[in-house]
Amino acid sequence: MNTKPIYLEDKLREINESGRLVYRSRSMPTWCPGCGYFSIVDGLPGALNDSGIAPKDTVVVSGIGCSSRFPFFVNTYGFHTLHGRVLPVATGIKTANDALTVIAVGGDGDGFAIGGGHVPHAARRNIDLTYLLFDNGIYGLTKGQTSPTSAIGFRTSTSPYENFDQPLNPLLMVLTYGATWVGQAYAGRPQQLEALIKQAIAHRGFSYLHILSPCVTFDKTDKTYQQLGDHVADVPAEHDAGDLAAAIALAMKVDRPALGLLYRTMRPTLADSLDAVVEKAANKGIGGRRRAA
Amino acid sequence: MRTDVQISICGSAGEGTIAAGDILRNALAGAGYRIISFDAYPAEIRGFGKCVARLRATTEQVYSLKEKSDVLVCLNDEHGIPHVADVRDFGAVIYEAKSITRLAEGGHVSAHVRPGQVPYPLPMRELSERATGAIRSRNLVVLGYLAGLYALAKDPFLRIIDTKFKGKGAVAEANRKAFEAGFAAGTETFKLDMVAFGPAATGLQSVMLNGNAAVVEGCLDAGIDNFFGYPITPATTIMERLAIEMPKRGKRLLQTEDEISAIAATIGAGYTGARAATATSGPGLALMSEMLGLGIMAEVPSVVFVSQRGGPSTGIPTKTEQSDLNMALYGSPGDAPRIVIAPTNVEGCYRCAGKAFEMAERYQTPVIVLLDLYLSNRYETVVMPARPPFEPNCDKPVAKQDLGAGYKRFALTPDGVSPRTLPGTAGGMHVVTGLEHNEFGRVNEQPDNHEAMSRKRHEKLLAALHHPDFTHHKRFGDEGRVALGLLAWGSTFGECLAAMFRARSDGIRCAAMKVVMLQPFPVAAVAEFIDQCEVVLVPELNFQGQFARLVQAETGRTVNRLDRVPGAPMAVADIIAEAQRLIAATRRKAA
Repeated sequence: MNTKPIYLEDKLREINESGRLVYRSRSMPTWCPGCGYFSIVDGLPGALNDSGIAPKDTVVVSGIGCSSRFPFFVNTYGFHTLHGRVLPVATGIKTANDALTVIAVGGDGDGFAIGGGHVPHAARRNIDLTYLLFDNGIYGLTKGQTSPTSAIGFRTSTSPYENFDQPLNPLLMVLTYGATWVGQAYAGRPQQLEALIKQAIAHRGFSYLHILSPCVTFDKTDKTYQQLGDHVADVPAEHDAGDLAAAIALAMKVDRPALGLLYRTMRPTLADSLDAVVEKAANKGIGGRRRAA
Repeated sequence: MRTDVQISICGSAGEGTIAAGDILRNALAGAGYRIISFDAYPAEIRGFGKCVARLRATTEQVYSLKEKSDVLVCLNDEHGIPHVADVRDFGAVIYEAKSITRLAEGGHVSAHVRPGQVPYPLPMRELSERATGAIRSRNLVVLGYLAGLYALAKDPFLRIIDTKFKGKGAVAEANRKAFEAGFAAGTETFKLDMVAFGPAATGLQSVMLNGNAAVVEGCLDAGIDNFFGYPITPATTIMERLAIEMPKRGKRLLQTEDEISAIAATIGAGYTGARAATATSGPGLALMSEMLGLGIMAEVPSVVFVSQRGGPSTGIPTKTEQSDLNMALYGSPGDAPRIVIAPTNVEGCYRCAGKAFEMAERYQTPVIVLLDLYLSNRYETVVMPARPPFEPNCDKPVAKQDLGAGYKRFALTPDGVSPRTLPGTAGGMHVVTGLEHNEFGRVNEQPDNHEAMSRKRHEKLLAALHHPDFTHHKRFGDEGRVALGLLAWGSTFGECLAAMFRARSDGIRCAAMKVVMLQPFPVAAVAEFIDQCEVVLVPELNFQGQFARLVQAETGRTVNRLDRVPGAPMAVADIIAEAQRLIAATRRKAA
């Protein structure tokens, strides 16, 4: 269990030695020292490198928040969009160009508060992209307000008398929305995180990776390395990732977050469905164009 | 002989009123007449609301409907009665001769026909029942009757009936029989009115389109790659038609979960180099406005069609209005310049739609094409160009030597447009962002940078004022100094032209100017026009005089406003009356 803070210099040296530097931009992450997101900005290049996906064919799309600064720190095509709108923009990119590997990144507020209306539709359409959700249970960029995954009783600047709202369970939600690949990782376990990112990218369809990540600046009590490190547990070896009911049961164990692949299935992607529409139109076109002969 | 005949068909929803109007306008267009047509119907899908199908068939090009119809067909007494007064002298009123229900005193159309109007009682129900065994086809009986009475060729009607009811075997046959029965009755009727169809133009290769269908043709001819939309009246038919046509050409269309997602996906697709568009109405545009700001900041091409309806809020979804101009021009956080164009007729919808893709690409910006319900739903005969008149690619590519680590996505250039790379291009990697950024696309909040980038985003659009092969504005009528100038945008310009012709026939020197390019604004041309008019009147369908205020702010000249929100096209008589009042007042002051 790694509960030590992670230093930027160490990470950069590691990346240098791994030959993954080509995926990193020259911009230094703006995150606070010790932030869990450093594991992710290291993990994604590793996963892309191992998968043989060139930076020029990758688009990293983000919303707004600490996590959403991510595209600036990787050397791929990047689109830093609006708060909550990462999935719709990513949908447009992938629909227009199948050849691109599209990675959507964002935080718990971005994805499940303001952008919560888009997640079910990306999932049910089974659009072939990877959604990395950085969950720190707080709004960090605006300096520590309550998020939709903050625990009841958590004290923040907008909940000075403690949060009273039931936290959402994003894993449970995406499982029921129809996501075809659902996994969970923890920023304190970077090797496992990188492996899961790689699997998520390899999946053909909508893959959702929930990443638990401590906010070292605004959360001293709740989702800390100490707290999370003590509670996370690997997905049991006997778990059947093809069993939706079992995955849902795992997702509901919120006091023992399960790390690993919870669920995986295959069905036609959005591109498959749109290609089928084109085929139907070619065989059985309706109506006619209005141009005088 | 010139032909100029306006026919209104009035009935309840479900009586086949709109269908009859549709067959009639297509048959008359098929016979070679020019058509302009606008139907009014209730919002409810079913029920007993009033429907009015109205069309004007001419041999000359016209720009609006007439206030008085030449022929009124009443499929239903109750709904027909209020319209009898709108029939011109020596015009025709056709109505049910044998009502099957007892009507109260004054409940029958015949009691309302004025001296001078010519009544034609027609046993529609009986003829329909004798011909087909049901009263349902009386709308076809009426069409046959019109054809017989005015000696119109049967063939175009029968062709349309066959096409419209293709695959519904018995229905097509019944409708043909009903039409023939009506036709026989028409030929036997002694014509007393002064309505006449002269010979139609020959060789006019026109097609019948409404504004939304013309937008679709423009999109297809400009090579649209992707469309993302969410249903909303009166824009929905754009998506419905594209949903049929785009897959035939291997293109992708997706119905999104809301308008925010629609514009976001449009911008996402535009970022990859696709020609992408969405279509909505005022409430949808409100939802899209934050994302438009991102499109402006990130300099990504996108096209947004906005068909306006009555507002604010949900407003009057099935009535026309021009009250979303301000939102189209300005709606977004911060200084958010975008291109806004507004066609004035159906052919303009086609041109503006295609040109919007060119402009979005060339100037790397969202382009809003403003329509309104009247324009979206109004049918006109349009002569389509033989070949699409649109540039297939207006992107500014990056020179090879500029690629690599030092690539500046937002390079400051003389025309303000920076060469862009598309995802998949080696050496062209960059991040686009809604945050203020420097030439490399890196976040930068320095005052000089913000100033320079703000200037770039504004000034790059000025070239759109000279965008090739596009009518930015146009003056009609008398040249030089005039007593009356009518200045308008959007569909209301048609009524302005009609008013201009009327004023000129009354001996008033008059000119009318349409402004299609609303942002950036053609300041010099509009100011010059205003300076040449003794009185300038700006008629528009909103309460705030949104266009008049824009004109005043941009040109520094004062104009007279005529703001109306009737939910219907501007009345030509209102324009004339206001113009006469203003001219008289000006002359009194001068004397």
